Amino acid sequence: MMQAPVTVLQANTKRDTGKKAQYGNIMAGKAVADIVRTTLGPRAMLKMLLDANGGIVLTNDGNAILREIDVSHPAAKSIIELSRTQDEEVGDGTTSVIILAGEMLASAEPFLERNLHPTTIIRGYVRALEDAVRIVDDISFPIDTNNRQQMLNIVNSCIGTKFTMRFGSLIAELALDAVQTITVDHGEGRREIDIKKYAKVEKIPGGAIEDSRVLRGVMFEKDVVVPARMRRKVHNPRILLLDCPLEYKKGENQTNVELMREEDWAALLKMEEEWIQKTCEQIASFKPDLVITEKGLSDLAAHYLVKAGISAIRRLRKTDNNRIARACGATIVSRPDEIRESDIGTGAGLFEVRKIGDEFYTFIVDCKEPKACSIVLRGASKDVLNEVERNLHDAMGVARNVCIDPRLVPGGGAVEMAVSRGLSERANSGAVEGVEQGPYRAVGQALEVIPRTLAQNCGANVIRTLTKLRAKHAEEPDCTFGIDGNSGQIVDMKELGVWEPYQVKVQTVKTSVEAATLLLRIDDIVSGLKKRDKLAPGQSSKPQMDDGENVDSERMLAE
Amino acid sequence: MAGAAGPQLQLHGERTSGQDVRQQNATAVLAVANILKTSLGPVGLDKMMVDDIGDVTITNDGATILKLLEVEHPAAKILVELAELQDQEVGDGTTSVVIVAAELLKRANELVRAKIHPTSIIGGYRLAMREACKYLQERLAIPTSALGAETLMAAAKTAMSSKIVGADSDFFGRLVVDAVTAVRSEDEFTGRVRYPVSAINILKAHGKSARDSRMLDGYALNLGRAAQGMPKSVKKVRIACLDMNLQKARMLFGVQVLVTDPKELELIRQREVDITRERIQKIIDAGANVILTTKGIDDTALKYFVEAGAIAARRVPKDDLRRVAKATGASIVMTLADMEGNETFDPANLGSAEEVVEESVADNDMLMIRGPKNTRAVTVLLRGANDYLLDEMDRSLHDAFCIVKRVLESGEVVPGGGAVEGALSVYLENFATTLGSREQMAIAEFADALLIIPKTLAVNAAKDATELVARLRAFHYTAQSKEGKEELARSGLDLVGGEIRDNIAAGVVEPALSKLKILQFATEAAITILRIDDLIRLEPEPQEGEE
Repeated sequence: MMQAPVTVLQANTKRDTGKKAQYGNIMAGKAVADIVRTTLGPRAMLKMLLDANGGIVLTNDGNAILREIDVSHPAAKSIIELSRTQDEEVGDGTTSVIILAGEMLASAEPFLERNLHPTTIIRGYVRALEDAVRIVDDISFPIDTNNRQQMLNIVNSCIGTKFTMRFGSLIAELALDAVQTITVDHGEGRREIDIKKYAKVEKIPGGAIEDSRVLRGVMFEKDVVVPARMRRKVHNPRILLLDCPLEYKKGENQTNVELMREEDWAALLKMEEEWIQKTCEQIASFKPDLVITEKGLSDLAAHYLVKAGISAIRRLRKTDNNRIARACGATIVSRPDEIRESDIGTGAGLFEVRKIGDEFYTFIVDCKEPKACSIVLRGASKDVLNEVERNLHDAMGVARNVCIDPRLVPGGGAVEMAVSRGLSERANSGAVEGVEQGPYRAVGQALEVIPRTLAQNCGANVIRTLTKLRAKHAEEPDCTFGIDGNSGQIVDMKELGVWEPYQVKVQTVKTSVEAATLLLRIDDIVSGLKKRDKLAPGQSSKPQMDDGENVDSERMLAE
Repeated sequence: MAGAAGPQLQLHGERTSGQDVRQQNATAVLAVANILKTSLGPVGLDKMMVDDIGDVTITNDGATILKLLEVEHPAAKILVELAELQDQEVGDGTTSVVIVAAELLKRANELVRAKIHPTSIIGGYRLAMREACKYLQERLAIPTSALGAETLMAAAKTAMSSKIVGADSDFFGRLVVDAVTAVRSEDEFTGRVRYPVSAINILKAHGKSARDSRMLDGYALNLGRAAQGMPKSVKKVRIACLDMNLQKARMLFGVQVLVTDPKELELIRQREVDITRERIQKIIDAGANVILTTKGIDDTALKYFVEAGAIAARRVPKDDLRRVAKATGASIVMTLADMEGNETFDPANLGSAEEVVEESVADNDMLMIRGPKNTRAVTVLLRGANDYLLDEMDRSLHDAFCIVKRVLESGEVVPGGGAVEGALSVYLENFATTLGSREQMAIAEFADALLIIPKTLAVNAAKDATELVARLRAFHYTAQSKEGKEELARSGLDLVGGEIRDNIAAGVVEPALSKLKILQFATEAAITILRIDDLIRLEPEPQEGEE
């Protein structure tokens, strides 16, 4: 530039280019991984997070921790996204994916220092990923999903790292029961397991965790409309589900009423009453024992229903209503004058309102074929319950994955070591040529971060344990030795019974490698760009660039 | 007069003119091109853009980078528009066009300083561009028919080689070619074969890995059925596309109904519900078993669809609906009212398809419309580690779709990897020496400017650019001057090995059209900026009432 500076970009944009951008990204990845590192394995510690409103989150679930953390570095954000992906896709392994992605980035650093071109590193990584998936394929073996004991072991070993492990197989059993309840077989090996829609976790503080169970039906926090005069316990109830209000409804058009004569007023009121009466009669003619509506229910309607001996519940959530419909075989009706006999649900064995603690809860249980269920969790405090719920969610994710793809791999870092060995063997045999060989091997070595972290977290001698494990795998290929996360010893995972679903493992490796390749390709970070639509004033005008050190766990949690 | 003249022209602002403004423009344009430079070619890298809320975009696409950069300088803005234009016209080559334009301008600026009038330069550039295009079409373009079926794959792979999906280009190349060939359609009247890229729907779902992306036969809507009671699949589909509410009818704004008898009030309310029911009944009676609407459907109205065994979906995005309507031959219905004032639903408005099914992908449900009547529609489902990756994959695939479409439609390709630029540069230099006018200088500079592409490619790959480009030119000179050596015109750079090779044989090809447009657009943009000799920047008018 030979003369006065020409402003091309906006003054407040900030650019990081070349090496600086690359190292910044790697630092960010490592920093995020460091936050969750201690939450891996059976000797994991919990994290206590205080959010902006002063609420507390107490968890060791990777996704839950990272969700709460506010990071400013764009690459760190990208890494955090990974754990969300993992959570939605398979429901477990959220911590491993972050640690692995951080390690993949970190192992690229020496290559960048040696001036290897990022695209070369990426090519090596992608080839290693392909081979790694193939190796995991070879190691995996199928199991019988109908064998309850075996399933229980698997789920148990997966959530063995969590807070709930001290309650034995309780959570595993809950998860398994719930998943089996809502499984619908479409034949031809296709199974539908929709945890989100049909398995609801209800948390009731109080009692002991051992009191938690899976209901053969649905439970929700509601009471009948007139507790004193409606029945609160009915065996084999006939259930009618409505999604329309049982009160005199206002029309869609705005209505103004101008009255000149007094009788007209009376006529108007009478009409409303008559309408309700008529509707209630229509309902009563089908002799339901219980009427549940998603909308409102007026006092007058309640009166008529009481007279007809029908219990009524109002303002139920749509999702709950769907679950009831599935559990007891009812169809949700939207106009009372269109009710048919087939719409009435008769599948439930018992309707009951029970008082637990201070609240009333409605149970529709003992269903003949419950294809939906509620899981009642009890526990000392709300924070504990929240953590139990997260664990249960992970456990259900595992159970579902195993049901859909019944293949397993050994846990405890065994599969990572096997892949690492396999990759280095392939590299030695000359399958990969040229400069890509370095990054190819690095992927294998990066995978060892999982057993290493396991050893670290339980206080074992990391180097000694890891070299021993590596030697073990080198001696006998196809061995299933890994690290016992409790004792830090090297154990055969087959004997210890620590398994992980194939899907979770493969997803972890794929996600972490792909994320690393995405970030490694970046050589320019431009920040401080304005969104086209104006922001509300007071929002920070430009995100700051952290140089890695600032993405420190303590500093961020202190707020 | 002296001293008392003062400024003749009162300007509330700044004015730059003459050589100053030219210099400024050239600097600004070069600055923009420099930003893009490192993302060119198979070993180019990506940029990460962060906006002030912290949203991140990671991309390699020139047009996207420039759009997000918020360039302020007016001349630089022209380049941004240039990239957008290239994106719309061709879909790929956005980075190249900017780099070429900037180089042309830089060299023009130097010529002006050597006291050559801009109009002579402009004339020279125009002439050079025309000659280059002619030469490219006549001598360099190779019909795909001469190259065999693998050309398509090669073109797709070349387009993607610089992108994030480059490492998996075999896999994605196949995907892209399959998708584009699947939507082949023939115009009924002219018989022209078209490949509408818009018929390829790209869906993104995070999870799994990039290699688990797949092509689905049929058009996928990223939403589920409106009610769970509806069937999961419907065969022999008659599809109704609505752009109207199926909620309780309400009066138009300002319409009043006066009733005197309170009883009639109840009737009005009854009617509100019934009108919707009748409408739905009419649609169902017309034979529709899949109903899509851009607006809402009342929960109460869903029951009728459930009873009729039809699938209904509400809040379908309008773009999706339009494409569905086009693919299935349906017409979008805004209202049921007919000329007589009654409400009817004409079965002719229905489109047809073989099957509609609800499938679940990752955490979401989607409706697949299979075998639509008119065009074949396909959906490419992308999977990947996170949303940033998916967005970038989407952009990369879109570029590749466009390239494959161009190759199919125009049927001519040119070798990539700087081959065309090398050849044109040699040719234009020779051509320049045949002219005895002052345009000669401009044409020679134009020839030199084109070399920026092979140079940048070599620099990005950390190769010796000067030597490589010299060798490239030598190859092309031989090809053009010696009989029987025409094969050498296909020589381009091999950026991994750092050699010169036959890029057609190596499978590095680009559609001829893309190169042609790059030349044309870049020249036009350079000329536009070159013509400027005065820049007046007005101060914004002070706002009323502001102190």
